[in-house]
Amino acid sequence: GFYNPTAMGQGPGVFSAGGFVAPAQPSAYQQQQPQVGALTDQFSQMGLQPGYGQKQFALHTVNLVGAFLDPRELVGPPPEIRLPPGACVSQEVTANADYTYQRCTMNAIPTTNSLLGKAKLPFGLILTPHRSLKEGDAAVQVVTDQVIARCRRCRTYINPYVTFIDGGARWKCCMCNVSNEVPQMFDWDQATNTPGDRWKRAELNHGVVDFVAPTEYMVRPPQAPVYVFLLDVSQHGVASGMLATATRTILESLDRLPNTDNRTKVAIIGFDTALHFFCVPSGSTESTLLVVSDLDDVFLPKPTDLLINLTEARAGLETLLGRLSDMFVDTHSVGSALGPALQAGFKLISSLGGKLIVCTSTLPTLGTGALKAREDPKVFGTSKESSLLQAADAFYKTFAIECSRSQVSVDMFLFSAQYQDVATLSCLPHYTAGNTFFYPAFNAARSEDAIKFAHEFGEILASPICLEAVIRVRASRGLRMSSFHGNFFVRSTDLLSLPAVPLDQSYAIEVQIEENITSPFVVFQTAVLHTTSDGERRIRVVTSAYPTTSNISEVYASADQVAIATLLANKAVERSISSKLEDARDALSNKMVDILTTYKNTMTSSGGGASAALSIADNMKFLPLLTLGLLKHVGIRQSTQIPSDLRAYAQALLTTLPSQLLIPYLHPTFYGLHNMPPECGTIGEQGVIMPPPLPLTSERLERHGLYLIEDGQTMFLWVGRDAVPQLIMDVFELPAYEQLRTGKATLPLLENVFSQRVNAVINKTREMRRGPYWPHLYIVKEDGEAAMRLWALSMLVQDRGAENLPSYPQFLTSLKERVNGSSYT
Amino acid sequence: MNFEDVEDRDGLRLSWNVWPGSRIEATRTVVPIAALYTPLKQRDDLPPVLYEPVTCKPPCRAILNPYCQIDVRGKLWICPFCLQRNGFPPHYKDISNTNLPAELLPKYTTIEYTLARPAPIPPIFLFVVDTCLDENDLKALRDALVVSLSLLPPYALVGLITFGTMTQVHELGFAECNKSYVFRGSKDYTPKQVQDMLGLGARPAAPRPGQPMNTLHGAARFLLPVQQVEFQLTGILEQLVRDPWPVANDKRALRCTGVAINVAVSLLESSFANSGARIMLFAGGPCTEGPGMVVSNELREPIRSHHDIDRDSVKHFKRAIKFYEGQAKRAANNGHAIDLFAGCLDQVGLLEMKSLSNFTNGVMVLTDSFATSIFKQSFLRVFAKDSEGNLEMGFNATFDVQTTKELRISGLIGHAVSGNKKSPSVGETEIGIGQTSAWKICSLTPHTAEAVYFEVVTPAGTPIVQGSRGMIQFVTHYQHSSGAMRLRVTTIARQFAEAGALSIPSSFDQEAAAVLMARIAVFKAEIDDSPDVLRWLDRMLIRLCQKFAEYRKEDPTSFRLSDNFSIYPQFMFHLRRSQFLQVFNNSPDETAFYRHILNEEDVNNSLIMIQPTLMSYTFDTPSQPVLLDSVSIKPDVILLLDTFFHILIFHGETIAQWRKAGYQEQEGYENFKELLEVPVTDAQDLLVDRFPLPRYIVCDQGGSQARFLLSKLNPSTTHLSTGMYDGAGGGEGAAIFTDDVSLQVFMEHLKRLAVGASAS
Ligand SMILES: [Zn+2]
Ligand SMILES: [Zn+2]
Repeated sequence: GFYNPTAMGQGPGVFSAGGFVAPAQPSAYQQQQPQVGALTDQFSQMGLQPGYGQKQFALHTVNLVGAFLDPRELVGPPPEIRLPPGACVSQEVTANADYTYQRCTMNAIPTTNSLLGKAKLPFGLILTPHRSLKEGDAAVQVVTDQVIARCRRCRTYINPYVTFIDGGARWKCCMCNVSNEVPQMFDWDQATNTPGDRWKRAELNHGVVDFVAPTEYMVRPPQAPVYVFLLDVSQHGVASGMLATATRTILESLDRLPNTDNRTKVAIIGFDTALHFFCVPSGSTESTLLVVSDLDDVFLPKPTDLLINLTEARAGLETLLGRLSDMFVDTHSVGSALGPALQAGFKLISSLGGKLIVCTSTLPTLGTGALKAREDPKVFGTSKESSLLQAADAFYKTFAIECSRSQVSVDMFLFSAQYQDVATLSCLPHYTAGNTFFYPAFNAARSEDAIKFAHEFGEILASPICLEAVIRVRASRGLRMSSFHGNFFVRSTDLLSLPAVPLDQSYAIEVQIEENITSPFVVFQTAVLHTTSDGERRIRVVTSAYPTTSNISEVYASADQVAIATLLANKAVERSISSKLEDARDALSNKMVDILTTYKNTMTSSGGGASAALSIADNMKFLPLLTLGLLKHVGIRQSTQIPSDLRAYAQALLTTLPSQLLIPYLHPTFYGLHNMPPECGTIGEQGVIMPPPLPLTSERLERHGLYLIEDGQTMFLWVGRDAVPQLIMDVFELPAYEQLRTGKATLPLLENVFSQRVNAVINKTREMRRGPYWPHLYIVKEDGEAAMRLWALSMLVQDRGAENLPSYPQFLTSLKERVNGSSYT
Repeated sequence: MNFEDVEDRDGLRLSWNVWPGSRIEATRTVVPIAALYTPLKQRDDLPPVLYEPVTCKPPCRAILNPYCQIDVRGKLWICPFCLQRNGFPPHYKDISNTNLPAELLPKYTTIEYTLARPAPIPPIFLFVVDTCLDENDLKALRDALVVSLSLLPPYALVGLITFGTMTQVHELGFAECNKSYVFRGSKDYTPKQVQDMLGLGARPAAPRPGQPMNTLHGAARFLLPVQQVEFQLTGILEQLVRDPWPVANDKRALRCTGVAINVAVSLLESSFANSGARIMLFAGGPCTEGPGMVVSNELREPIRSHHDIDRDSVKHFKRAIKFYEGQAKRAANNGHAIDLFAGCLDQVGLLEMKSLSNFTNGVMVLTDSFATSIFKQSFLRVFAKDSEGNLEMGFNATFDVQTTKELRISGLIGHAVSGNKKSPSVGETEIGIGQTSAWKICSLTPHTAEAVYFEVVTPAGTPIVQGSRGMIQFVTHYQHSSGAMRLRVTTIARQFAEAGALSIPSSFDQEAAAVLMARIAVFKAEIDDSPDVLRWLDRMLIRLCQKFAEYRKEDPTSFRLSDNFSIYPQFMFHLRRSQFLQVFNNSPDETAFYRHILNEEDVNNSLIMIQPTLMSYTFDTPSQPVLLDSVSIKPDVILLLDTFFHILIFHGETIAQWRKAGYQEQEGYENFKELLEVPVTDAQDLLVDRFPLPRYIVCDQGGSQARFLLSKLNPSTTHLSTGMYDGAGGGEGAAIFTDDVSLQVFMEHLKRLAVGASAS
C-alpha cells in the first residue's frame, strides 16, 4: 500500500510564492509570541541596561539526540526581532527590512565583544539587496522627490530608526547620534505642490526603499545596459550544440533584454584560435565578419558597428543570430583564445561599462590567460587539493579588477566535457559581480541540456540588472564590517564595487564588535548605489534594527540558524581555498563543538559535567544538520573522487546563492510521491500543493516507492525496484520497471492524474525559488547504474555517506563526545 | 641594315650592329654593345608553334635556331654557343634541306613555342585597395574595379585586400556573409605570422565520414575564379566604404600600405609561389602607419621633397625604402608582379615603393585621382586583349641570355631581378643587374623592353677570322594568360670587324644608343648624385665624338658628324635636361614614375620621352614636325607637343584670339574650324596605345598651362643665349654645361671639347 504521511501527525505542506508558508502546526517561536510573562519579569529584575521594557526571548532547549527535525521548519522566518518600544518612528511592520533582503546571524546583538566571544556564534549579515520579486511580493517603495536626508557625519540615510528633535526640525542619527537638519523639502509633496505628511514618507516607514538619486550621485550620466556576447565558435562549441543553443536563446531573448528608451547596446564576438567580430550596421540586415588572428596585442578591427544599438540594428542582429552557428558548422578550429576575446570585449565597452557574457566549451589555450590542464586526480583528497581551487593564472584576477574599475561585469557559462578550470575562470564573475554557470559535458542533442541552458541563459538575459553599483554597509557605533564574502571587489576598506548586481545574488559580511554597545538597539544599513536597467540612478537602502542584549540566553534564543549556516558556508569556502579543505571542515566541526559546549555549559543544568543529551536552542536545532550537509557537500567534503571543476562550481554556488536556495543546496528536499496525499500535486489556494518533505535518510525509501530528491540544482526521481507496473505506466508510459532507463530525462505529461500530479510537483520545484536555475531531472533506479544511485543517495545527508562520511546520528555522537570530552579539560 | 625592320622581326635594337673585334676596341667605341629587347613584341605573322623546342645538352641548353650548322644526313646539329654536337630528336627523322622545321628557317630568328605542360594555376589578380579616399574617389575606384572583373579571364583567380588604418583580407569563398581577416596597421608581421593568421598553414583533416567538404581551405578561401566569385566580389566592392576610423583635423588618415603589401605578398607566397600573379595596389595617399611609413600622420610634417632627401633629413625614408625592397624581392622571387596605381594630388610615396613595381615589372600609374579618366583608362588598358581574347600579359617569366664566346653579358637594365645564373656568358664588367645570365621578370607586356649590355672579351691582337660573327640568344619562358606555358626565342648574329673598320660606325644605331645610354644614366642616377651622372654623360658624349667625328684638331669649325651620329648629341642634350636626370622641378614620386616608364618602353617611345616631338599646324601648309625650340612658337600656329607623359595642344596668340571670338562656329571659317580639329584628331591617334595614358592639356600662348610646353623647348631665343657661358668650364669638360643652356651653346662647347680646343 501507499505510504501514509499522516502517520507522522502532520498535514501536507502548502507552498506559496515566497517559500513554504508555515504549516498548520505552528513553529516554536510562534508559540512564544503572546507569552512574555515570567521571563520578562526575570530579566527586568536583573536590571539589565539595554533591552529593558522590550519583549524578551524565551530560550527553548532541545536535545538533539533522537530529536525529530521537521524539514519544513527550515524555511520559516528567523526568530522575531523584538525592538524596544519607541525605537521606530513608524508603526509599519515594513519598517524593518524583510529578512529576505538582509538578515543577521543573531536577532539580538551582544553588547560586548566578550559576550559575543563567549556565545561562540558567528556574527554576520547576509545580504540579498537585489532580490527578485515573485508574484505577491510587495514592490520596493521609491522616493522620487530627490530629497535625500543623510547624516552629515556618518552619511547614514534617514530611516525609521532616527529620532526627530527640536520639534521635528532636526533629526538625530541612529548610528552616530549627531543631530542633523531636516531638509527643507522633506515635508513638501512635490507632486501636488502642497505640504506633505512627513510620517508617510517611504524612507520613514520602509526598511527597504529606493531613492531616485540626483546628479550628485553620478560621476557620469547613467549607463545603458550593454551586453557583449563572447561565444566559443571552435569545433567544441559547435559540435556540442552550445553555439546554436546560445545564439537561438539570444535571438529569442532580444525582446526580454532590458531596453527602456531603446538605449541597450549589444555586441557579438566569436572566438576560437582567432577573434571573430561581427559588425551589424544599423538599419542593415547584413552583417560582416571581421577575423582578428593577432592575439598578441588585442585590437578592435573597426571603430563602429561592433557595439550596436539593439533597437536600431535589430533586423541585422536577428539575421546574424539566425545564421551565426551555420557559419561555423564546418569549422576545424580547435583552440580557445578566451583571454584575448575578453580583452577585446573589454576594449569595446570599457568606456561604457556593461556585461561580458561568455559561453565557452574548452579550457582557454591561446594568448593571454591560456591555461593548462592542471588537474591531477592523485591530489584529490590530499592537502594539495585546494591548489586546484585557486586561480591558476594571475590574469584572471588582474583583468577582473580592471573590469571592475571600468564597470564591466563578466558572466561565465561553461560547457566543457573535459577539465575546464572552473576555479580559475570563475574568478572573473567573482571579482566583477557576475554569475558562473557550469554545464559539464553539455550536449544540445539531448533536449534536457538544451532546455536547461536556454532557460538559465534566457533568465539571465531577461533579468533586470543593476549597473555601476557600489555597496556600503553602515552600522551603529561599536560595530564594524570586518570581512566580506561574495562576488564583488572590495574597493576600499568597506566599499564594495559591483559593475552589475545580479538578481538574487547573496553576500555575507562578518561583523565585529569594536566597543561596548550602550544603546538598546543597533541599526545596520546597506546602501546600494546603482543604475537601474531603465537608466535611472538609484540608491537602494536596506535598514534593519536589532535589539541589543547582555544576556547570552537571549543571544542564543535569537540566533538565525539559516543566516549562521549561510555565513559558515561562505567562510568554509574561503578557508578551503586560502588554506586547505581539511582546515575548512575542521573549522566547521570545531565551531559546532564550541557552540554546543558553551551552550551546554551555560544554558543547561549539566554545566561542565558529561551529559547524555546534546543540547541546543530550539531555534538552532538544524545547525548541526546543516553543518553536516555542508561537510558532506561536493564543495567541501572529504573525497578522492570529486573533479575540481565540480568542486569549484559548487563553491561558486555556496558563496552566491541566497539563503532560500542555499538551504536546500545543503539540505535537499526529499518527497515520497507514490504515497503522497491526494491533494498533493493539485492546485490549492496558494498554488501547487507540495507533498510533506521527509527526513533525509534512505530508511524512508520503500522498494515499491517513487521519490523526488532535489537540492535546487538537481532533481532525482528515485524508482524503487519493486515499483508496480501501473506506476511505471502512469508516470513513464513504459510497461515495466525493466524498460526504464536511468539518466537525464524529461518526464512525459500523460493523460492520468498521477502523471499530472508528479509533473506538477516537479515543475513547482523548478519554479518555487528565486534564481535562474532549471534543475535537471535524473531518473534513478534502485538497482540501476551505481554512480547515478550514489549521487542521488549522497543527497540524503542523514545517511552514512560514501568514503566514510558519518551519518547524522554518528555526527551527533561525535559532537557529543567532544562536547563532553572538552568539558573535562 | 634597316634597324626598324630588325626591330619588327626580332623586337630588338642594338647600339652597334657590327661589333669591334677586341675588348680594347670595344672600349674605345664608348657606347657599349647593347640590345633593347622586347620579349613579347607583337608579331601577328608569327603564331606560336605547338611543339617543344630542341635544346642543346645541359648545361648549355641553347635552343636550336637558324644559325646552327646542321647535318641532315647525320641528323645532327652543332650548337653555336658551346660547339657541342647534338642529335636531333627521333621525331625530326624526316628532316632534309627542303624539309626543315620552322626554327631552322632564316625568317624564324624569333620563334615562340607553346609548351606541352600548361601552368597548374590560372593567373591571379589580387586587388589591394586603399579605403582612405574621399567618397568620390572611392566610388570611381570601386566602379573601375567592378568593370575590370568583366575583363579578366573567367578562370583567373581574384582576391581582395582593403586597407586603411588596418588591413583586411576578404574571404571571398565565405558564403554566409562578408568576412575578412583584419591585420593591425602598425605591426610588421612575419610572413609566417600572416600565413598562420589567415589559416593558410593548417591543412584540415579529411572530412568526417558522411559529411561533405563544403568549405574551402587555405588560400583558396581568398582567391577564387572570377566566374565563381564575381557576384560576391561585386557586392563587396559596391559596399566598400571609407576607412571608418576617425581622422582629426590636424592629421592624415592612418594608412597602412606597408602591412597591406606584406599581407598580399605573404598570401600569394604561401600557396602560389612561382605561379603568375599580379598584386594591384591602389593608393590614394602615403603610408602613414606601420612598416613602410612614408610620412607620419601629423599634417604639420610635410611629405619629403628631393631637397629633404638630398639633405638626408627624411626620418622614414631609408627604413621605408628597405622595407619595400624587402617586399619587392620576395614578390619578385615568387614570380609575382606588383602594380602601383596612385590616385592623389599629393605624393603617395611612390619613390619609396618604386621597387615593388621596378623589381617585378608591375605597372606604375601616377594620377591625381581615381576619378580621372587617366586612371580609369590606364587601369582598363592593363587588361587589353589580343585578337584571340587573351590578355596581352605574360606572367612569371624567366629571361635567359646566352652568348658566343667572344661576348659576355654585363647586365640588364629594366624591370627585373637577377636569376642568379652563373653561366659562362656572364662577364666581369657590370652594368645594371649583372653577375647573371638570367633574370626573373614577373610580368610582361608587348611593350616591355629590357636593355641588355655586353662586353667583348677577345684579347687585342687576336686575328678576326673572315666573316666571323658573334651570336646572342634571348630565351623568354613565361606563363601565357591562357594558362599555357610559352617559350619565346630570339637568336641574333652580328659580324665582328677589325679596329678602324668603317662598318662599325656605319652600324651605329644612334636612337637605340641614346636610349641604352639613357638607361645607364638613370640607373647611375638612382645610386649617384646627379651632377656626377651628368658629368659622366658629357664625358661619354665627348669621347664618342672624339672617336667618330671628323675634325681637325683644335678647330671646332671643322667638326662634322656623319648622319648616323648626327642627332645623338641632341638626344644627350635633351636627356641632360629631362625629368629623368633633373629632379628638382619634380616631386620624388614623379621622378620615380618617369624613370619607371623610361625603363619599360621601346626605343621609339623612349626617344619621345627624352626628346619630345613637336608638330606645327597652320593655314595652307600640311602639318609638320618642327624644332623643339622656342623659335617654333608663333602667333598663327597650333603646336602639338608629345612628351609621352603629356600631350599638349598649344594655340598661338592669334589662333587663341580667333577661337575665343568663336570664328570656328561661323560660316566661311570652315578652314579655321578644321585647323583647330586636326591636332585634336592627331592627339587622339597618339593616345591609342599609350600606357599609362598621358595627361592631355589644351592651352593658349600666355596661359599658365603653357609652361608645360615652354619647359621642354630649347631656350634658343632667351636673353641668356649669348655670352653667358663664355667664361664657364674648361679643363676636363667638367661642369661646363648648365641646365638652361641652349642646344646651340651646348653644341659649341661639345665641338670645342671634342676637337681639343681650349676654352676661349
Ligand atoms: Zn550619523
Ligand atoms: Zn650548346
